[in-house]
Amino acid sequence: MFAQQLANALTLGSVYALFALGFTLVFGVLAVINLSHGAVFMVGSYAALVLVTRFQAPLWLALIGAMLVSGGIGLLVDVLILKPLRARNAPHLIPMIATIGVAIMLTSAGQGLFGAEIHRFPEETLPAGELVIAGIHLRALEIGIVAVAFALMALLFVVLRRTQLGRALRAIAESPKAAYLLGINVEGLFHLTSFVAAALGGVAGVLIGLDFNAITPQMGQPILHKGIAVIILGGMGDIRGALIGGLFLGFAEVMSKAYLSSQMGDAVAFGLLFLILLVRPSGLFGRVLERKA
Amino acid sequence: MTPMKPLLKSLAIATVILAAAPAGAANLRIGIAEALSGGAAQYGTPIRNGMQLAAEEINAKGGVNGNQLQLVIEDEQGKKEEAINVFKKLIFQDKVLMIFGPTLSNSMFAAGPVANASKVVAFGTSNTANGITDIGPWIFRNSVMESDVLPVTVASAVKHYGIKKVAVIYGNDDAFTKSGYDVFKAVLAEQKIPVTTTETYVKGDVDFKAQLTKIKGGEPDAIVCSCLAEEAANIILQARSLGLRAPFIGGNGFNSPKLFDISKLAGDGTFVGSPWSNANPAPVNQNFVAAYKKKFGAEPNQFAAQGYDAMYTAATALKSIKITDDLAADRQALRDALPKVTLNGATGPFKFRPAAPKAGKPGGFDADQKPFIYIIKGGKFTLYTGK
Amino acid sequence: MAWLSDFWSTYNTLVYSIGVHAMLALSIQITLSCGLLSLANAAFMGIGAYVSALLTLTLGWPFPAVLAAGTLAPALLALLIGAPVLRLSGVYLAMATLAFGEVVRVIVLNLEITGGPEGLNGIPPSTEGWHIALFLALTVYGLVRLARSRVGRAFEAIKEDEVAARLMGMDVDGHKLFAFTLGALIAGLAGALNAHYTFFISPREYGFESAVDILTMAVLGGTSGLLGPILGASLLTVLPEVLRFLQDWRMAVNGAILILVVLFLPTGLWDPHRVRAWLRRKRREEKA
Repeated sequence: MFAQQLANALTLGSVYALFALGFTLVFGVLAVINLSHGAVFMVGSYAALVLVTRFQAPLWLALIGAMLVSGGIGLLVDVLILKPLRARNAPHLIPMIATIGVAIMLTSAGQGLFGAEIHRFPEETLPAGELVIAGIHLRALEIGIVAVAFALMALLFVVLRRTQLGRALRAIAESPKAAYLLGINVEGLFHLTSFVAAALGGVAGVLIGLDFNAITPQMGQPILHKGIAVIILGGMGDIRGALIGGLFLGFAEVMSKAYLSSQMGDAVAFGLLFLILLVRPSGLFGRVLERKA
Repeated sequence: MTPMKPLLKSLAIATVILAAAPAGAANLRIGIAEALSGGAAQYGTPIRNGMQLAAEEINAKGGVNGNQLQLVIEDEQGKKEEAINVFKKLIFQDKVLMIFGPTLSNSMFAAGPVANASKVVAFGTSNTANGITDIGPWIFRNSVMESDVLPVTVASAVKHYGIKKVAVIYGNDDAFTKSGYDVFKAVLAEQKIPVTTTETYVKGDVDFKAQLTKIKGGEPDAIVCSCLAEEAANIILQARSLGLRAPFIGGNGFNSPKLFDISKLAGDGTFVGSPWSNANPAPVNQNFVAAYKKKFGAEPNQFAAQGYDAMYTAATALKSIKITDDLAADRQALRDALPKVTLNGATGPFKFRPAAPKAGKPGGFDADQKPFIYIIKGGKFTLYTGK
Repeated sequence: MAWLSDFWSTYNTLVYSIGVHAMLALSIQITLSCGLLSLANAAFMGIGAYVSALLTLTLGWPFPAVLAAGTLAPALLALLIGAPVLRLSGVYLAMATLAFGEVVRVIVLNLEITGGPEGLNGIPPSTEGWHIALFLALTVYGLVRLARSRVGRAFEAIKEDEVAARLMGMDVDGHKLFAFTLGALIAGLAGALNAHYTFFISPREYGFESAVDILTMAVLGGTSGLLGPILGASLLTVLPEVLRFLQDWRMAVNGAILILVVLFLPTGLWDPHRVRAWLRRKRREEKA
C-alpha cells in the first residue's frame, strides 16, 4: 500500500508541477503574478477537446493545437495589456489586477462558447492501457503526465542554463533595465516568455483535462490555488522549484490523506505552507529573489 | 388641476390604452433567478432552459386562462448577495407574481427570507438542503430531499449485492456533497451497515488515488459516494485503475446523463436514486426529452426536468386563480393555490407536502415524490426493479 | 414616491454592500499605506462574521455587543500572528497572509459549530442602513485623522523606505503591527455588519477570491488616498448590477472594463497627483 501511495504522490506532484511551470516562468521573468494562468489552462483543455471531437485530430496534434491557442492568448495578453502597463511604469500590483480581468473574460467566453455544462473527452480518445508493477497500478495517462512534466522541466532547465537565450532571460530576471543596457531585446523576450508560459499552461490543460476529464469554464480556479502553493514552496520564479514544490505538495497531500485524516488535508497543507514561509520566506529550496518592480 | 395640453392628453390616453390592452389577455410575469454564470451555472442554465421550454409550450397552447406567461430571467451567479439583489429587483421593480430559484441552497438561505417577508412565493427546483422550507410559508421546492432518496438507494443496493460493509467518500467543502454525506451516514447507521473508512476530498482535487488506495485496504463490499458530477466519473475510473472492483452507491451528483459514457464498463453496477431519468418511458417525459434536445441541442438532465415540471406546477396553480389588478392579492392567491397542485410531469407523479412547523412558526412546502432507483448497465441508466 | 420607495426596496442591499465593501477596501488601504501587502483581510472579515453570527444565534447577545465582539476578535488574532508574519515583506507577506486565510477557511469548513460548508443560516437582519453609514463615516474620519498624525507620517516613511525609517530610530515593527491590527479591526466590523443583513454566511465567501476582490477594489480605486478605495469598491459593486441588461455577456464586459480602467488609469481611478496636475493645466489654460 505504501508503494502505491508513493506512486500516487508522484503522479499528483507531477500534475501540480506541470501547472506551476508556466506560472512560475512568468513570475520569474516578468515579475507578474499571472492570475489568468488558470483560465489559460482551461482554454487549453477546450481547444484540445474541439480538435479531438470536431476535427477528429489525433491526440498529439490536439496537444500542439492547444499549445498554439493558449500560447497565442498569452502573447495577446502581453502585447495588448502587460506591455502598455510596463511602458507606463504601472505599480507592481496593477498587472496582476489586469490578469484578473483577463481571467474573468476568458471564463465567460468559455461559458458563452461551450455552455456551463461539463464536457468530457470521449472514451475512445483516451490513451488506454495500464501498467502493473509489483502491485502498483499506473495508467498510461499518468505515466504520460509524469514523463511530460519531467521532460518539459528538463528542457526548460537546459534552455535557461545552457543557452544564450537562457542567459538573456536570467539577466532580465535579475534586472530588466541592466539587460536592456546590455543590448538584450527585453520586450521580445517578454513576449516569448508569455507565449511559452501560456503554451505550457495549455499543455497542462490538455493532459490534466484528459486525466480528470471534466471540462468546465471554471476548472482553472481551484488548480490556480494549488499553483500558488507550489511556487511558494518551490521559491517564486524558480523553474526547478516548480518541480520540487509540486512534488513536495503532492507528497504532503497524499501522505497526510493516507496516514492522517483526509478531513484536514488542506489545513495541514496550508498550515505547513504558512509555517515554511515564516521560517524560509524564499521557499523550501529557492533563493531570495529581490527585485524592485 | 391645470388643463392638460392636447398633445400630453392624447399621450396619456394612448398610455392608458396600451396599459389596458393586455387586460383581456394579461401577461403573467414570473421571475426566474438562477445562477447563469459562475460555477453553479452548470445547474442554473439547464433549470432556466427547462422553464423556458415549459413556458413556450404553455404559451403556444394559449397560455393560462388566455394569459401569456412572461418570464423575467436574471442571473444570480450562485452568490448570496447577488441572489438577494435579484430577488429584490424581481419583487419591487419587475413586480413578478412569483420567483423560481435561486439555484443553490446557500443562495436560498440568503434570498428566501426576502421573498418570505415580502409575501412572494420563492420556488426552488434545486435546493436539497435541510431547513430550506423552515424559512417560512412562502418557500416551496419540488427538489426531492436526499433524505427521501438515499434510504431507498442504499436499501436496494444492500439487498441486491448482499452488502456487509461499505467505505464512504465525499467532498467536504461543498454544501451539497456534505449534506448528502450526512444523510448517507444516518442511513448507514440506521440500516446497521459498518463503515470501513470515511474519506474526503475538496474541490479542485484531481487525484483521488490516495483515498481510494486507503479504501481498497478495507476491502468494502461497496463504495458510497457523495460527489458532484465533475468528480464522480474520475473517482470511478481511478478506483478501477487501482483494482478496486466494489460497486458504487451514488448520491444526486451521479445523475448526469453523460457520466457513464466515459467510464462505460467501469461504472457498471452503480446504484443511483433520482427523481428523474431520461430512461423513464412515460410519454410526458419522452416528449420533454425530445423537445429539450430539439430546442437546446443538448441532453436534458435532472435539473432541466425539475425546472420544466416546476413551470407546469405554477401554471396549474395559476389556472385555478383569478388574476385581479391587486398584485399583493394575486401573489397571496397563488401562494394559497400552489399546495393543492398535483402534477404528472417529466419527473413522475408530484405533489407538495407541508414542512413541519419549527418553533411554532409555519414552514413552507417540500416535494412529496417517490424516487426512481437505477442501476447502471452497459453505461446506461436502467430502472431497477428488484433482483 | 411609490417609484422611489420601490427603487430603495430594490437597491438597499446593494447600497449596504457598497458601504461594507468600502470599509473592506479601506481596511487593506491602511496596511498598504504602511507598505504591507496583506491579503488576510477576507479571513478577518470571515472571523468577524462568524463570531458575531454565532453570538447572535447561540447566545442571543444584543446587536451592539455582537458587533463589538465581531470587531475585536479578528483584531486580537491579528495582534497574535502579526509579530511573526510581519517579518516578511512584499510578495512573501502576501503569500503568507493568503495561506493564513486558507487555514482559517479550512478550519471553519471542518468545525461543527460553524455548520461546515453548509454555513450558518437564519441570522436576523439587525444591520440597518444608518449603522453602515455611521461606521463608514467613523472609519473615514478616523483614517483622515490618522493620516495627518505622527503615526500616519510614520506609515508613509516606512512605505517609502523601511531601512531609512529604521535607521532614524522609528519603531517600524510596532507601526506595522498597528496597521495590520487596525485593518483586521475594520475588516471584522465589515464582516459582522454584512452577516446581519444577508441572513446567511458560509466559508467560501471569505476565501482566496474575496481576498483578491478586496485588493482589486483598493488598487483599482487608487491607493494613494482614502477616496480611491471607496470609489473602487463602489464601482466594482455597482458594475455587475448596471450591466445586467447585457445578460450572458455581463461578466465578459465586467472583465473588459476592469482591464480598460487598469490600462488607462494605472494609478487607479482617484490619483491625487493626476487630479492636481489636471487642475493645474486647467488653470494654465484659463490664464492663457
